[in-house]
Amino acid sequence: MRGLRKWSRILHRDIGYFFIFTSLIYGISGIALNHMSDWNPNYSVSINNFTTTVDLQNTSNVKSKILKLLDKVDNRGNYKKHYYPNDNKLKIFLRGGSSIMVNVKSGKGVTEYLKRRPIFYESNFLHYNPNRIWTWFSDAFAAALILFSITSLFMVKGKKGITGRGGIYLALGIIIPIVFLFFYL
Amino acid sequence: MKKFTFILAFIIVFTACKDNTIKVEDAAQGTEELKIETPLLAIADFDTKAGDFVSKEIKISGIVDHVCKHGGKKLLLVTDDGKVHVTSEERFEEALIGSEIALNGIVVEERIDEAYCLKMEEDNIKSHSEGKSSDDQFESKKQHIKEYRDQMKANNAEYISNYSLEYVSHLELK
Repeated sequence: MRGLRKWSRILHRDIGYFFIFTSLIYGISGIALNHMSDWNPNYSVSINNFTTTVDLQNTSNVKSKILKLLDKVDNRGNYKKHYYPNDNKLKIFLRGGSSIMVNVKSGKGVTEYLKRRPIFYESNFLHYNPNRIWTWFSDAFAAALILFSITSLFMVKGKKGITGRGGIYLALGIIIPIVFLFFYL
Repeated sequence: MKKFTFILAFIIVFTACKDNTIKVEDAAQGTEELKIETPLLAIADFDTKAGDFVSKEIKISGIVDHVCKHGGKKLLLVTDDGKVHVTSEERFEEALIGSEIALNGIVVEERIDEAYCLKMEEDNIKSHSEGKSSDDQFESKKQHIKEYRDQMKANNAEYISNYSLEYVSHLELK
């Protein structure tokens, strides 16, 4: 039992150090992605309303007019593509994911600027398993989490260990998911 | 030195991985495929002609209007004349938004019938009662279901076919 406790501590501690940063990545992106319906976890969005007198009706030379509009509301160098979702509306795509929607009849427009959220963007990118190498690494992390769970049972003896206070926490941690499953599954 | 090696190895793991999200296919190969076998459909004709190509591969061109922020596995391809929904098993790069692409995909048919409408209705009520959807979303979906039913009635048909594409590859057009 003493050997098991010793090795549990060693593995829990050293593998724990190794995965601190990975835990933060998954923790941060986990919270961010859990609330995807409340916010955009990758980009902050800012809106700018404007009115233009530039005639943006769907004609063959409209692109030069769009560039003229961009000179006023953004930068012509950011132009990517455009299309007309319907007769009244023109959507202009800008570099970096931002876009402009203009009502070509009224001249009223909205620019939606997207700006990457630092840390969140990168964490979310990794959370979504961008490639096979990361899948292996995240599998190793998941295996380490299982190992942490098992080793934590043996790390501490006495009233603070699994036979004392630790056991109560363990029971609560088991009960909460089971109660949830009972009501919502 | 050991520390340095460890840190270096860690950095390599983080930085050396180029993402394997959907990649642009080789331009020459894509052109060849187009010439040899893949039928080209205009987005304007997609809804009317897609029925002839169910489970077959077609090529279509348009601007990427939107990549689904919930997982990035859906995109909306548009032109002035229409739109086509594309789904994929891999994530689409968000940088594709606003790009004009030629996309190869398998035509998928989804049949919307009364059973489908009933299920939608049930899900809509459940989602709204659980507070997962707003009043506006609830009403909008209700209206959507009504439109499906009206369309079936008007066509005197038992179902409506909705067509989309299952992603195969794409080529970014300049």
